[in-house]
Amino acid sequence: MNEISTGIAQALNLIFAGDAEIFEIIGLSLYVSFSSVFISTWLGMPLGILLGTHNFKGKGIIIRITYTFMSLPPVIAGLTVFLILMRRGPLGGFQLNYTPTAMIIAQICLVTPIVMGLTYNIVKEKAPIVNRLAITLGASRFDAMKLLIFEMRIGLTAAVVSGFGRAISEVGAVMIVGGNIKGKTRVMTTYITELKTMGDYSRAIAVGIVLLIIAFIINAVLYNFQEREGK
Amino acid sequence: MKLKIENLTKEYNGKKVLDIENLVIEQGTLTAIIGANGAGKTTLINIIGRLDSQTTGKVSYMDHDLIKTNPRAAMTLVFQNPYLISTTVEKNIAYPLKLRGWSRFDIEERINQLTEELGLEKLRKRKVWKLSGGEIQKVALARALSFKPELLLLDEPTANIDPTTTGEIERMLAKINEEEGTGIILVTHNLPQAKRVCNKLIFLNKGELVEEGNCLEILKNPANGLTRQFIEGELLV
Repeated sequence: MNEISTGIAQALNLIFAGDAEIFEIIGLSLYVSFSSVFISTWLGMPLGILLGTHNFKGKGIIIRITYTFMSLPPVIAGLTVFLILMRRGPLGGFQLNYTPTAMIIAQICLVTPIVMGLTYNIVKEKAPIVNRLAITLGASRFDAMKLLIFEMRIGLTAAVVSGFGRAISEVGAVMIVGGNIKGKTRVMTTYITELKTMGDYSRAIAVGIVLLIIAFIINAVLYNFQEREGK
Repeated sequence: MKLKIENLTKEYNGKKVLDIENLVIEQGTLTAIIGANGAGKTTLINIIGRLDSQTTGKVSYMDHDLIKTNPRAAMTLVFQNPYLISTTVEKNIAYPLKLRGWSRFDIEERINQLTEELGLEKLRKRKVWKLSGGEIQKVALARALSFKPELLLLDEPTANIDPTTTGEIERMLAKINEEEGTGIILVTHNLPQAKRVCNKLIFLNKGELVEEGNCLEILKNPANGLTRQFIEGELLV
């Protein structure tokens, strides 16, 4: 209990005292997570929409694979990306391991299936009704797609936020490809793991609280958006 | 508006659900399609509205084959449980007009006119999920009428609506039919409604056209025994 109360006090101190190291770690965490979520959104959303609005051979297999990858263990994603990027790997020439870029790539592997799978689920539910409406009102295919995206806006936002939740809280993949190098690839989750190993529980809790506050802010923004849109 | 149906069939999994040899609906009529559940009423208007396609046969509108031309600019459908875009009432009404490139001024004017006629003035800014069933149906009707379609297809639009709202909708249908010459095809189970509103009646049974003609005459003296049975059965309810 003592560690927890000390941790809370230290968390406030870390935030308000402007601890340079912690802000650098928070900054990198946000950079890696936002970058991976941004790219995953651009990859996963069109794929999810395509999957939900078209029928083709092999669609069932793709859906099953997507669902499986939605719960892909981060260490497996991290290990795979590490092996591909390692010096002797197929993309070793780029020397990306132990850089934030490698961490972003690993997180893209984790977040894209989440965004894609959740988008597919929303499209599957909404597309038939919205397309029917669009046809009856004389909309072109392009206008029908715009209407569909508008009608799915809350669900799509939730898909992105779920992806962000995965990215910001993920530790296994970024640890493997990033290596938790101080000042270079250290993010909040890997830092917490290290602090725990070192027995610095108060500081670990403090960083954990900062992580929770960030998650809270992101979710509060989504909640406000949903409230405004009335759902 | 002249809608012509020739040798139309529709099959689902090899089972014929619609088989109409010949049917013509003239310009400006207010037509009711009646029949028991599974008679093919909804399938028929879905085919006319191009939401579904026929297995064989031809449906032509103004002498143009509906398969080869896109008549969506001229016709629209309103369903029993309409889907409203998750925004405000006025944005729903404006949507088809924006698709057609109407100016902001003209859109505003049209919204004013329709909301006034359907008693929706106070609901203009209201989000659609705060509307009652009757209000939803009126907004769907206003949206469908916004771009002044030549042909309006309605699938049991007042099935779950209170009598007051039903009356408002019926008056609106009669008004646009009379003043703007909008052709209306109304699928309904409600025979008194067909009697009040429509001038032509089509009776379908198991996918086949049993009887068609003047609405009041058929309801008063049906020529076919099946039509008589149906009408009498309905009137007993």
